[in-house]
Amino acid sequence: MADAEVVGDYTQNFEVWIDDFNEWQTRIGFDPSWLGDYRFDIKFDWDTAGSHIEFGDFKGKPKWERRMQIPQQTIRDAIVNMVSVQGDTEFASVEQQNHLLASAPTEYDRKSALRIMCEEQRHGWQMAYLLCTFFGEQGVREAAKLLERNAQEGTRILGSFNEPIDHWLDFFMFTHFIDRDGKYQLKMLSTSSFKPLAASMGPMLKEESFHLGTGANGLRRIVKQGVIPCALVQKYVNKWVSTGLDLFGTDDSASAQWAYVYGVKGRYDEREAQEPAAREHLNEASRELYFQELRDEMRRISKVRKKGEPALYIPSDKFKRGIGKFAGKRYTVHGEDFEGDEVAWEEYLSSVLPSDEDEDRLINEYMEQEWIQYREWKGD
Amino acid sequence: MQHVALSSFDKGRCEPFFDRLTDYFHQHHHSEEGDAESYEELLYRVRRPYTTQMLDMIDAWMGLEKRDWREETQREVMLALYAIRYPDTLLIESFTENARSNLPRLSAYLHFTNHTYAIWDEDTRRGLVKLGIDIPATEVADPFVYGAYVSAIELLKDVAPFTCFLEHDVPRQRLFQAALAAYGRE
Repeated sequence: MADAEVVGDYTQNFEVWIDDFNEWQTRIGFDPSWLGDYRFDIKFDWDTAGSHIEFGDFKGKPKWERRMQIPQQTIRDAIVNMVSVQGDTEFASVEQQNHLLASAPTEYDRKSALRIMCEEQRHGWQMAYLLCTFFGEQGVREAAKLLERNAQEGTRILGSFNEPIDHWLDFFMFTHFIDRDGKYQLKMLSTSSFKPLAASMGPMLKEESFHLGTGANGLRRIVKQGVIPCALVQKYVNKWVSTGLDLFGTDDSASAQWAYVYGVKGRYDEREAQEPAAREHLNEASRELYFQELRDEMRRISKVRKKGEPALYIPSDKFKRGIGKFAGKRYTVHGEDFEGDEVAWEEYLSSVLPSDEDEDRLINEYMEQEWIQYREWKGD
Repeated sequence: MQHVALSSFDKGRCEPFFDRLTDYFHQHHHSEEGDAESYEELLYRVRRPYTTQMLDMIDAWMGLEKRDWREETQREVMLALYAIRYPDTLLIESFTENARSNLPRLSAYLHFTNHTYAIWDEDTRRGLVKLGIDIPATEVADPFVYGAYVSAIELLKDVAPFTCFLEHDVPRQRLFQAALAAYGRE
């Protein structure tokens, strides 16, 4: 049968970390009874992890299964960093979202959101397990930090994971755009030279697909219902796309190049790609695939809009970028140079991004109505 | 039953099915008979507290005739929908004969209230048989036969590659059950 494994015994380091995790749940207000029968299993799919390093300068050598097999400290550091960033996002998203359970538009949405939060926590467990089990004191320290940084305090590693998610429109935007970036990151790690990391990704990717489906279908249900005008929905699309694009990292990234050289993190389509990788532009290549996917998805979502509503679109990848060659420059949502002074720019931004008035109208006017398909459930 | 059905499981035999799983899912779920829109609406419409009208809606989507159940039968099934915990199926054994007489109906109630239980369907069972998971045909809700069916779908979820998991918000059991139904018919 398959080489899939659910780990039964934990190391002492990880057992100690679990105590910290339980405290973290209480601290952020996640009631463990919400989990029901859900268990945070540590899952490995050794079958799809591959036995030999698939790319980079160590290509063809057996994948590393333990820390001491990793030939250089710099590579160990790179792996610890990748695992830490991944784990950080998993716990951050639960901190951002768990308050929304009380205001779910339907019972199925509540269950879906809860399942997503359970699975994100399991992914965080998986990353903490790798750190505690394979990386000694360094790993234990990093695993502890996963529970110390906090999205509400703005101390999570990546920008999107410090953004407030105040309502369910943001939730669906987040699961559609930001979890989609998560899919890319997981797939890029699924071919990793560090075998326990690669073997962790298959089960995580299986779970992530439901998260993306929840986001896409949530947006489709909102657009189809037609209560929230598409012009307002578009402002939230503009807000989340730029931060999603930033998650892929800087252009011409040296650390992405080194991760590729070490075989730690590949391209999104590493196993399918026919051409050799452009090592200097790895982040740009993944970002472009993500960007294209966003455009295809938005065309599908936009199709169900009511007659007379404007089509939804993905803004230019130049718009409001915080990272890369377009960072800090002024471009319109259509990618044109913005002509005008600081005041005009701020005015422009408030016309294409959600303002305080938009938030107020969304929550106190539109969301008081049947703003999403099937909204009937009003809580327990 | 579960042990017998799953002990001889051969993952290699599933590969052609896994390779085309997403196509199979679309073939069944988005067919006229599958009525995807009504199915997805039911996911949202069936919610606590459950009512007999919700069961009627499920019956209508399943194409089943009206239930001929006494008040007590209705009550025992309703209570079970709250009490049952996945993957338990033994609770079914305590039901009266009338409640147990139609497994597709009962499994659909479990599916739309708990989402983790799979809908019993003869084509799906045939699909499992083609994969070497031999589950006997039945109309009556036998907890062991249905238990094996549920476990088999759970096993397939576990061993399938991640590429089988569509970006969809329907329960994963539905992805696999619908794909198996199309595969069983082929």
